[in-house]
Amino acid sequence: MASAVLEETRPRDPHPRATPRPPREGHPAVTWGLRLLVVAYLFFLVVWPTSLVAKNTFANGFDGIQGALDDPDVVHALTLSGQVAVAAVLINLVFGVGMALLLVRFDFPGKRVLNALIDVPLSVSPVVVGLALVLVYSGRYGWFGPWLEGQGLQVVFAKPGIIMATAFVALPLVIREVVPVLEDMGDDQEQAARSLGANAWQTFWRITVPGIKWAVVYGVVLCLARSLGEFGAVKVVAGNVGGESTTAPMLVQQKYQNFQQETAYSVSFMLAFAAVLCLIVVALLRPKEPKK
Amino acid sequence: MSIEVRNVTKRFGDFVALEDVTVSLPTGQLTALLGPSGGGKSTLLRIIAGLDTADEGTIDIEGTEATNLPARKRNVGFVFQHYAVFKHMTVAKNVAFGLEIRKRPKDEIEHRVDELLRLVHLQQFAHRLPSQLSGGQRQRMALARALAVEPKVLLLDEPFGALDAKVRRELREWLRRLHDEVHVTTVFVTHDQEEALEVSDEIVVINEGRVEQIGSPDDLYDHPANDFVMGFLGEVTTVNGQKVRPHDVDISTTPILAGAAQGTISRVLRVGFQVRVNVLTDGGEDVTVELTKSHANALGLGEGTTVWVTPTPGSIPRMVEKAG
Repeated sequence: MASAVLEETRPRDPHPRATPRPPREGHPAVTWGLRLLVVAYLFFLVVWPTSLVAKNTFANGFDGIQGALDDPDVVHALTLSGQVAVAAVLINLVFGVGMALLLVRFDFPGKRVLNALIDVPLSVSPVVVGLALVLVYSGRYGWFGPWLEGQGLQVVFAKPGIIMATAFVALPLVIREVVPVLEDMGDDQEQAARSLGANAWQTFWRITVPGIKWAVVYGVVLCLARSLGEFGAVKVVAGNVGGESTTAPMLVQQKYQNFQQETAYSVSFMLAFAAVLCLIVVALLRPKEPKK
Repeated sequence: MSIEVRNVTKRFGDFVALEDVTVSLPTGQLTALLGPSGGGKSTLLRIIAGLDTADEGTIDIEGTEATNLPARKRNVGFVFQHYAVFKHMTVAKNVAFGLEIRKRPKDEIEHRVDELLRLVHLQQFAHRLPSQLSGGQRQRMALARALAVEPKVLLLDEPFGALDAKVRRELREWLRRLHDEVHVTTVFVTHDQEEALEVSDEIVVINEGRVEQIGSPDDLYDHPANDFVMGFLGEVTTVNGQKVRPHDVDISTTPILAGAAQGTISRVLRVGFQVRVNVLTDGGEDVTVELTKSHANALGLGEGTTVWVTPTPGSIPRMVEKAG
């Protein structure tokens, strides 16, 4: 036994915490001016319009929501949107985490190109994404679609196409959340795990996943919110096949144009509510103080 | 011989980190890889651990050919400079990690973790998270974690580099005692010659990707193979054209020393119990002399004093032929 008691063994403050930096002091007039500007900006751009949707939805109490939910088209559209969003999120979860690992932990030729390509879905108009997918997968004149259709799989104007378009558009969200956390975490812990005998799979599940857990949760929530609301790309890919391939955002547009404003408002409200709910859940789950 | 490194070369692009390095690190000993930053010593350690791969050459650990073995199969314990603690696990879970991977029975793991935490004096912190420990405590936990799997060799990469001076001193004494108890073959990397001289049984001096000298601390200090080793292990000053350590220079205020060089004191600096004196000799040399405060007071040394300096007889390090 190395028996000498090290002085250093004395317990430290069990909750070491950096003293928070006091907010920068500025001239009161400037501070108030900035505050007013921000509040006004948010109010006119976000709060007011959104609250009007809620107001219109509940103009007749819960009748609007009830009426919408009695309409089979609405139920079908909401179900489809939910299914598509979940599928797109799962796909982006697997590929997002995989690509983030690839980008941060490995060096390979073309890494910079890949890194730039990942942002394409954010910068390209979703309508273009939809058109591009149609060009490749359309059963009639697509590049790859006729073959797939021959195998009995219809992509465009059906659920697979809608899922693909949604996944494409939401692709960068998980990756961009996970990459900085992986970079910050470094690969020390993973190397330590390997030297202790863990294989790649064990290292991933026991060390990497707990380390990026919160980034993945944020990424998934953002991805879910984006997937639920995607309109442009899905609109092109889904075509006009009656109610079969109509998602909730498309339904909002249809109902609104058909002068069924009440239903449109109700579905809009439900979409907005789902998104806000996601954010609230994350805010509640989030650890009070992210550990360094 | 425990770890045999043969003709290992490693390049990072154009940079040659290790060039044809051959070393054997003996079983049961505490060996230091000493050298300046960027000299390749950490790279060598990581290659032994399997965290990096050599471009050429072979590694043999306890008679097992390990050159192409992945890190997890080499059965080495590795301790990182920045601890590499598993942040989301308690101290006990960190230490248990290697055993859980090996699917040992629960009660055995519990027993072993308890034993190790006692060994590193962290038993009362078993259920804390690493973020609630100080740097020194984290590094001791990392050491316990590495020892848990009963490794054939223990590799430490600048283990005390991120700690403050006092803790560093405590920990290295403690490491020496721990090694005397556990007797696992240990290799640690350091750029601190004092640390290497104090702790290790054997020192391998590595510079610019090559082994400069291998030997016991006394050997290296007294018989450095070349100017680099001599300069790296301690301060060097030149008197009458001879390289010598500043504490091996005799100084007097009268010309009683045979063959002494005459000079004038240009600077006197007191560091704790020591006094460092700079003497400008008539021959144009700037000689640094180290002596105790009481000795300096007795001689009445001050700036401008005329003094005579000469190497202490028998103190000139004898250079040996390069043994590497």
